[in-house]
Amino acid sequence: MGYEAVIGLEIHLELNCMTKMFCNCPNLPGDEPNLNTCPICLWFPGAIPQFSHETLEKAVITSLALNCEIQKESAFDQKVYYYPDLPKGFQLSQAHRPLARHGWLDIIGMDGRTRRLRIRHVHMEEDVAKLVHETEGRTPISLVDFNRAGVPLVEIVTEPDMRSPHDAMEFIRALRMQIRYAGSADCSMEAGTMRVDANISIRPEASEVMNTKVEVKNMNSIRHLGDAIAYEMQRQEACVRNGEAIVLHTRLWDPDRRMTTPMRGKFEGPCVPDPSVPAIRLSEEWISEMKSRLPEMPGEKVERFINQYGLSRDEAVMMSSERDLSEYFESVVKENIAPRLASHWVATQLLPLIRERQQNIAESPVTPARLAALLSMLAGEEINTSSAKIVLTQLFERKDSPEAIVQMSGFSQVSDKDELDRLVDRVMADNPSAVEDFRNGQAKALGFLIGRAMQASQGKANPKMIREILTKKLG
Amino acid sequence: MSIDTFVYRNTSPPPDAAGTPLSGKRFSVQPNMSVRDWPTGAGSLALEGYVAVENATVVGRLQMAGAYIVGSTRMSEFGLGICDDSSARAVVDGHADIALITDTMGEARMAAALTGLCGFKPSYGIVSRLGLIGLVPSMECFGMVARHPADITAVLGAVVGPDENDFSMVVDGIPDPGAEKGDGDLRGSFGVVPEILELLGKEEIKIFRENLKWLEMNGWKVHEVSIPDFALFPVIHNVIGSVEASSSGGKYDGVRYGYRAQGTKNWNEMYLKTRDEAFGFLVKTYFMQGAYFQFENYQAFENACRIRARLLRETQRLFEEVDMLVLPTRRHGFPADTARSVKETYEAFSFTVLSNITGQPAIHLSNPRGGKPFEPGVQLVCPHCADFRLLSVAEQLYACWKGGY
Ligand SMILES: [Zn+2]
Repeated sequence: MGYEAVIGLEIHLELNCMTKMFCNCPNLPGDEPNLNTCPICLWFPGAIPQFSHETLEKAVITSLALNCEIQKESAFDQKVYYYPDLPKGFQLSQAHRPLARHGWLDIIGMDGRTRRLRIRHVHMEEDVAKLVHETEGRTPISLVDFNRAGVPLVEIVTEPDMRSPHDAMEFIRALRMQIRYAGSADCSMEAGTMRVDANISIRPEASEVMNTKVEVKNMNSIRHLGDAIAYEMQRQEACVRNGEAIVLHTRLWDPDRRMTTPMRGKFEGPCVPDPSVPAIRLSEEWISEMKSRLPEMPGEKVERFINQYGLSRDEAVMMSSERDLSEYFESVVKENIAPRLASHWVATQLLPLIRERQQNIAESPVTPARLAALLSMLAGEEINTSSAKIVLTQLFERKDSPEAIVQMSGFSQVSDKDELDRLVDRVMADNPSAVEDFRNGQAKALGFLIGRAMQASQGKANPKMIREILTKKLG
Repeated sequence: MSIDTFVYRNTSPPPDAAGTPLSGKRFSVQPNMSVRDWPTGAGSLALEGYVAVENATVVGRLQMAGAYIVGSTRMSEFGLGICDDSSARAVVDGHADIALITDTMGEARMAAALTGLCGFKPSYGIVSRLGLIGLVPSMECFGMVARHPADITAVLGAVVGPDENDFSMVVDGIPDPGAEKGDGDLRGSFGVVPEILELLGKEEIKIFRENLKWLEMNGWKVHEVSIPDFALFPVIHNVIGSVEASSSGGKYDGVRYGYRAQGTKNWNEMYLKTRDEAFGFLVKTYFMQGAYFQFENYQAFENACRIRARLLRETQRLFEEVDMLVLPTRRHGFPADTARSVKETYEAFSFTVLSNITGQPAIHLSNPRGGKPFEPGVQLVCPHCADFRLLSVAEQLYACWKGGY
């Protein structure tokens, strides 16, 4: 009998707000310890939390990007537990009345078909402080850094709609793409601004039962998420086959040993409504305003790129995979560059060079205008493809315009008929056997001769004209 | 005597504040009301040695209005009840003209009732709570005790109004001292809740009825209005108040400030020992009750919240029939100044918790002729945000009283 997994995810995202959630301290948890603290986030007696409007806006934008219904009324609760990372004995969260519900994201399943995965709700939550364990002489001590205490988070809780590591990884990729488009969070598992916990249970294939789940934490990349789920599925399957009961508990992914290990049970406290932070009531108008602030999302953009620019679906998906990239592409196209040429060059030439240099496309020295100028010379046959590639590399190092580089480096394409005639004659004279081969019906030899001619011109010859002249002379 | 009354005395001289609204007025605060650089122990070992880092908004506004804060008085732990409280004493003994007192369940009115003064609790959300160190955020406020309601009117005028740093304040309808005062004849109708009579003794009922008769003689109409579940007010206050207190008290863990127990091996032990040693009996019992509702009986807490909403609606509805409610303030045989358990405290405050639950303003007026052992006192409660009207009525009643009873 085969088993399938039932997987739900709980995702914490750090919103990229300027300030913390309930005070004006900078949202910079990585600063020197306890630098970004104040009477509110240290919960001095007499302080009153001041809910940040920016947190609300970014949380709403995030929820909208996940196709959620924003709730007109939501409220904060206190998640009660005692731990030194929590400065007041409870964490402000939205357990009973979350900000948004009923979202979804589409992914491509392993069978290649589109699947819609549901999001149960999205709620706001404050982050807790960071504990550092050290020793003072031989005494173990614990230090608390409150820079992170009160940093704004949203928690996204999915329905248990995923069935495989693939589904979970694709879901996180889709989520990351949506949120990065919306611009409300950085979503880096590696940097810890996105933390993903997976709830996993298994059941016989095609069954509808929901078995006891196990929570797995501590994955710090999408690949680890997939590996941890795959490991946990195998572990649970082995348990079931051995007749062992699955018990509800939490496990930690150990990336070095590539396995999950049980974690000491964490105390789950109650959630009571918070009397100090006012309930949130959102008007229809305000929600519409937030919707209008949401940029065109990747799904719509793909369709538009296909319809407006005649890109293939693959090209359109590629060009909309990141918001910066899509904006770059469109800026190039706006300079009267054929969209498919632009898409091709951005995808196959520009992006690899940017990645090599660990740059960001939005900040690349090859601005859309400079790439467009280069592509415009290429399209006008002023330079050939191989020269264009060299010029592109130089655009990273030099501030000169593409036109200036072409001129200074003598890359201008030779399209002078007489000059090319002479060149072709010389190449034919130097390669009599290839000429012979072609005349004997070996079409390949034409390519060889074109290559020789290009080489002889140091890449400057117009390849189209060379082909025409050669074909005529050989014929 | 003054050593007992004050735990801290202001060493700077009074300000030269001629021409300001509170010029020459002396105030006492409690050590849970933040005055920058003053010891702010809130009557608790948990905050032993704690010094306020900023002024409470109310303190700043009083100083702006020219008031002189003479010192802070002794208080019950975190302002719960009045058994260790000396704020009214500061006024009785002439050290202060107005005493500020944390009002969580009726402390200002009760302290006034026991000392022949006038005690006021403003509407919830019209005076900033920033810098007030209490335990029950949804019910507590700065209460005021003075000899005459006119003093309270002046104080409220100086401190009322929005504070951009207190997000729990009401958004619309904060009364404007100038516009709301009301002038001319304020006589209207008072509502008496017959259900209160079950909580009073024969002699107290007699005196309370005499007080009502006196009101009628002076031109006020008195109607009976019913709150069938009046007895639930203390219960609801206890359930919700203890849950909020348990949460609010969570920050006293010895990690960042305040008292920390010594000689512990790990942080769990540190938490337990610190909290065990830091709190007194009443507060600790209250925390335990709150934790019980949080962890073991959440349903009861949810029910209490629902009942609170219903009691608020029912009380609001009464104000369609009458202008104000008139209630006794205290109960003979249930003294607030010696109540040391949660049960004794709620028994003593049975008549005052109503307005802390509903957020409505309330004032206790001591009959200047009073002082009888069974005197239950007169407490007036009016609709939310009608504070200045309430104070005007109180001033008018005082004028009548002076004219003879
Ligand atoms: Zn802060």
